[in-house]
Amino acid sequence: MDTETVVRAQRGDKGAYALVATEIAVRFLAVARRILRDIDLAEDATQQALLTIWQDLPKLRDPARFDAWSYRLLVRACYAEGRKQRRWAPNLRLLPMDESIVNDGLNSVVDRDQLERGFRRLSIDHRAVVVLHHYLDLPLDRVAEIVGIPVGTAHSQHHHAMRALRAALDADSRTPVREVI
Amino acid sequence: MHTERDVTRIVHSWLRTDEHESADRVLDTVLELLDTTPQRRALWSARRITDMNTVAKLVVAAAAVVVIAVAGYNFLPARGGVGGGPAASESPSPTPQPSPSPSPVAAFPPEGKLAVGLRHATTGGGVPYSFSVPTAGWTSNGAYGIDKSTGIDADDASFILWPDEAPIGVFADPCASVKAPPIGASAAKLAAAVAALPGTDLVSGPSDVTVGGYPAKHVVLTFGEDADCNADGQLAGEEFYLWYSPSEGSARYATELGSTIRVWIIDVDGAIVWIDGETFKGAGPGPEQEIQQIVDSIVFE
Repeated sequence: MDTETVVRAQRGDKGAYALVATEIAVRFLAVARRILRDIDLAEDATQQALLTIWQDLPKLRDPARFDAWSYRLLVRACYAEGRKQRRWAPNLRLLPMDESIVNDGLNSVVDRDQLERGFRRLSIDHRAVVVLHHYLDLPLDRVAEIVGIPVGTAHSQHHHAMRALRAALDADSRTPVREVI
Repeated sequence: MHTERDVTRIVHSWLRTDEHESADRVLDTVLELLDTTPQRRALWSARRITDMNTVAKLVVAAAAVVVIAVAGYNFLPARGGVGGGPAASESPSPTPQPSPSPSPVAAFPPEGKLAVGLRHATTGGGVPYSFSVPTAGWTSNGAYGIDKSTGIDADDASFILWPDEAPIGVFADPCASVKAPPIGASAAKLAAAVAALPGTDLVSGPSDVTVGGYPAKHVVLTFGEDADCNADGQLAGEEFYLWYSPSEGSARYATELGSTIRVWIIDVDGAIVWIDGETFKGAGPGPEQEIQQIVDSIVFE
């Protein structure tokens, strides 16, 4: 992110912030969607994060740290949306009725389905660590800084999450929904 | 078995596939809201006021009061939803009334708060009816459900109203997502299947009740340890399926261990209208009473 534009936005320049928001919005939405596994919640989290960034930007003492700071606000917004998801959004789900099951390697439907199930069982904290590390390719010490946890905790959460996902992948492959004949 | 390296590669690949999001809608909303969203000044920048003379300080302070008051007013109604204007949900204009049109409205209440004292038109399995809510705080998700959330779990309650199609069957194995064969439009058979749903604790029913003047079956279930598919003390929603509808392929699943679901399966001249309401662990009588009041308010067109 261009530091000069961030500084202008800090001083209340809405045009400058529009540039900032435009540059980060797509990436933020992609990260939020991967953490929350729901586009509506991801949009809400992204919107909330972008508004919070605008509001709190004057408090950012070192504009060069904008990226880490802004991701932290996004992850917090994801936590908030995740709590809503637990209560309401997931109670009714569209079922994959006719999904074909072809075990064709790493990207098979079975793997994706198992991963999806395994991932949804993770807490938002663990999901955030996985997404920031494996999607944004951030090292775990940077992930720890963003999420606001000790580096050791980030390593531990990553280990736990990957072990859970491995268990999900190793579970018996089965059609997500099938009818008894 | 997958090796650790396999899993890393698969997760890496999975996170990068088939998601092409457009942020235009979010961006439009955010940029629109900037005008009514003031920045929060840092404490260290506020020190600048010490360089001013007393009159200037008073002018700035007065201006700040005005700004804060205006900003505060603008912020009062703000909700986080995408696409919502800053003051739209709490504008002084009256809450939209249901259409006075005599023809039934085959739609769900729009997303947002449900006003007390008004009739809210919807459909259940395509059958038009209306209902009212007893207290403020109920909201519609604009698609299939209404809920009341106070932020305190035990005081929450929610409904799924199945506006398009009523469920036609239950899951034979809720943890493995295995469906039992469809039952069809028989309230008695559907209620019996609900009452026998594996892994749930039957509280009462099926019992004969009347909803909106039509005969209905009522069943009450709770979710105890048997519903814990992963034996981890939680009830991950996607793991414990309850019942499903036909062509739209939707399935209800339980929210958490200890929650209670009340099901009404109403036979409206041969058509099934299905309503299920949920209260949560530790709920007192309040949420249950509100759910019952909403059901009692139902009037078929």
